[in-house]
Amino acid sequence: MSAQPVAPPETPTALPRPANHGMRVLRRLAESPEAGVVIACVVVFIVISLNAPTYASVGNLQVMGRDLSQTGILAIGEALVILTGGIDLSVGALAGLAGILAAWFNVNQGMPAPVAILITLLICAAVGTWHGTMVTRLNVPPFVITLVTYTTAQGLSLSITSGTPINGISPLFSNLSSYYIQQVPVPALFFFGAALVAWFALERTYIGRQIYAVGGNKEAARLAGIPVRRRITSTYIASALLAGVVGMLVIGRMNVADPSVGPGWELVAIAAAVVGGVSLFGGEGRIIGVAAGAILLEFIANGLLALHVSPYYQQVVQGLVLGIAILLDRVRASYFGRGRR
Amino acid sequence: MSEATSPRSRAVTARLRGVHKSYGPVRVLDLPELDLYAGEVVGVVGENGAGKSTMMGALAGSVHRDGGDIEIDGVHLASGSTEAAARLGIAMVSQEFPLVGQLSVAENLLLGRRPRQTRRHVLLDRAAVRAEAEAMLNDIGLDPRAIGVHREVRTLPVPTRQMIEIAKAWGREPKLLILDEPTSALGPVEAEMVLGLSRKVAERGGTVLFIGHRLDEVRAVSDRVLVLRNGQLVADLTPAEATEARLIREMVGGEISHGEPKPQAAEVEPYLELVGLTAAGLGPVDLEVNAGEIVGVAGLMGSGRSRLIHTVAGAQPATGGTMSAGGARYAPHNPGDAAAVGIAMIPEDRKEQALVLFASVQANVTVSILRQLSVHGLLWPRRQRDEAARITDSVHVRMRSVEQPIGSLSGGNQQRAIFGRAFATRPRLLLLDEPTRGVDVGAKAEIYELIDRAAADGMAVLVASSELEELQLICHRIAVMRRGQIAAILPHKDATKERIMTAAAGTGAAVDTTPPGYGASPTNGAGQ
Repeated sequence: MSAQPVAPPETPTALPRPANHGMRVLRRLAESPEAGVVIACVVVFIVISLNAPTYASVGNLQVMGRDLSQTGILAIGEALVILTGGIDLSVGALAGLAGILAAWFNVNQGMPAPVAILITLLICAAVGTWHGTMVTRLNVPPFVITLVTYTTAQGLSLSITSGTPINGISPLFSNLSSYYIQQVPVPALFFFGAALVAWFALERTYIGRQIYAVGGNKEAARLAGIPVRRRITSTYIASALLAGVVGMLVIGRMNVADPSVGPGWELVAIAAAVVGGVSLFGGEGRIIGVAAGAILLEFIANGLLALHVSPYYQQVVQGLVLGIAILLDRVRASYFGRGRR
Repeated sequence: MSEATSPRSRAVTARLRGVHKSYGPVRVLDLPELDLYAGEVVGVVGENGAGKSTMMGALAGSVHRDGGDIEIDGVHLASGSTEAAARLGIAMVSQEFPLVGQLSVAENLLLGRRPRQTRRHVLLDRAAVRAEAEAMLNDIGLDPRAIGVHREVRTLPVPTRQMIEIAKAWGREPKLLILDEPTSALGPVEAEMVLGLSRKVAERGGTVLFIGHRLDEVRAVSDRVLVLRNGQLVADLTPAEATEARLIREMVGGEISHGEPKPQAAEVEPYLELVGLTAAGLGPVDLEVNAGEIVGVAGLMGSGRSRLIHTVAGAQPATGGTMSAGGARYAPHNPGDAAAVGIAMIPEDRKEQALVLFASVQANVTVSILRQLSVHGLLWPRRQRDEAARITDSVHVRMRSVEQPIGSLSGGNQQRAIFGRAFATRPRLLLLDEPTRGVDVGAKAEIYELIDRAAADGMAVLVASSELEELQLICHRIAVMRRGQIAAILPHKDATKERIMTAAAGTGAAVDTTPPGYGASPTNGAGQ
């Protein structure tokens, strides 16, 4: 309760300090790429909810939470790969295939749902290992090897199902997707959980810091004795596993495994990562930015629906948002030091 | 394993036996026997390409040695593995600093390892990382608060980065610390600090391999000076023996007889004139090159040889001064501008900068004259093939056909093809950067012939090379560079190896050998 300042004589010199400190904080904010995205999220949300009454309703927020569990979780896996300087084009198609596989194991092969889920996740991990191995051992460009998986996975989804959705999946799947905890849909919790784990791994473990080092300067990392190949491969595995999780959540949400779902989401995931400040050259970007990027894109996509914007224009707006985000990022980077090139 | 098995192995930190390495036909390192003892600073000097970097790379694991055995404290060192070398206690500070720009100073200092004062194995202990990083900086005499261990490395200036790199190596408490020209990026104060650190490592019982470009520094810090020449150890001197004169003599070897002076074309009109030219790391430079004259550019690594060539070629922006070519003002923005006024450059790295290796000889030699070859913008295969055949004939490229991928030719043939391509544009000025790198002796002679022919045809030629014999053989004049400036311009008859090296190393005598009229241009900032 004693409000007495400890050092009153300091006041004359302390006067300019707050201003200085304030400037420093402002500068730090402007320097961090994440701040812009977070502010954009807030501004977009407020502006749209003022113009569309249903936008901020609990029901709509729940819809957005479920959407986030799809592209948002993919974006986190994607960001891990991009941090190492790679890219994973397969996440959308792999998520689709994972849903189909889980349903197929469950319905057509008569496996209990947990076993189907486990096997599907193991397959996804194998796909991630395959990506990582090809990239690190044979120097296959990540773009190419994941494009191969994208095409193959999409084709497999269609050929397993002959193009028709798989019905009658175990209620476990829809239970996963339709429960609420304190009105928050469980899939949204998956998203926040994935973000939290990824953030913790990247910021608070040695392995995470080494992933940054690998992405920032592979040669330096190698010379410092960091197992570069294992670090890179682990990000591809994480990305593929997260894609698998998304696949399960999606079939649960729709209560049917639709082979046409999935492909295309990888672009949203990449966009979320880039909007969130992840450098496509690797080594730079944080999970908080990625999460904010995913949320921003969802706010906008859903908001355009709420504002009854023609679907044709929705994509134009989304493209513009991405363009502006990249432009601002470059301007910021060139303003605050020669950083990235 | 690390237990000393005999008293001898404790005294010898590194034992090298028959270590050798070849690139193609050239043996760049051949050390039959070399022992480095604990508690000494070993200076290593030699000309460019004498094998210094290869020797260090072989020890640090970044170069895969072809054969021979290296033992560190009696333990065999696996070839070509930086991890193995690091495990045995070898740390290297190279000229290009492998730091991660996006990470903080502290994280870079502890890259790839955990702080010693932590019990966490998986989770990052930020406080411990920070504390150890500050201790490491303190250890080498830097103020951690002045640098700021939380700052991103890319925001720091180059000398600071060099010091961080040194602190990083130092923090591993190496048995063998390899410093590759550690002071080239540093000011005098920091340089002094690095010399002091080297001594400290030796006093601690470690061994320092100090590769230096400045002879005075090497002499000041070393207990023993090794001189390499053409990949071989030619001298192992005590500090008392290692006078500058002696070192230079050992570095250049026996003076090879000069080639006979080539007749210079009668016309002596200057073609290229540089007045106060400056660029990043270069200048101010004043230089004239006459038509029909071959001017060499000598200098140590990083002295600005390549930068001069690149600036004239428009590949690096000039920041001040003027250039004129053939009497007209010339201010290139890109290499295309240079080509437009008749300047052709043959870059240093054949494979990376000059050729598309998997493409045919034909495609490679005609790429710069496609416009002239085209008829109303269209290319006719027959015409292109004939022209390619004519070009390759004119420079005697030996090959099966012009359709063959150029990568399948020998180095000398590739280089001749590049000359053919340059000649095909009928340039007035030919810029050469290391024209004979990686070609064998016979092919070198043929390339010298081509350069002579170009000059005889009236081209002005500016050739930068790290091989002094080569410059002595073909050049009418040799400009010696030091720290981005021309330290001396020596006419052919005066250009002995000793004088070139003396000027390049920047020892006091350099000024005396400068002939009147060719200034070392002390007029700083002339072109700013």
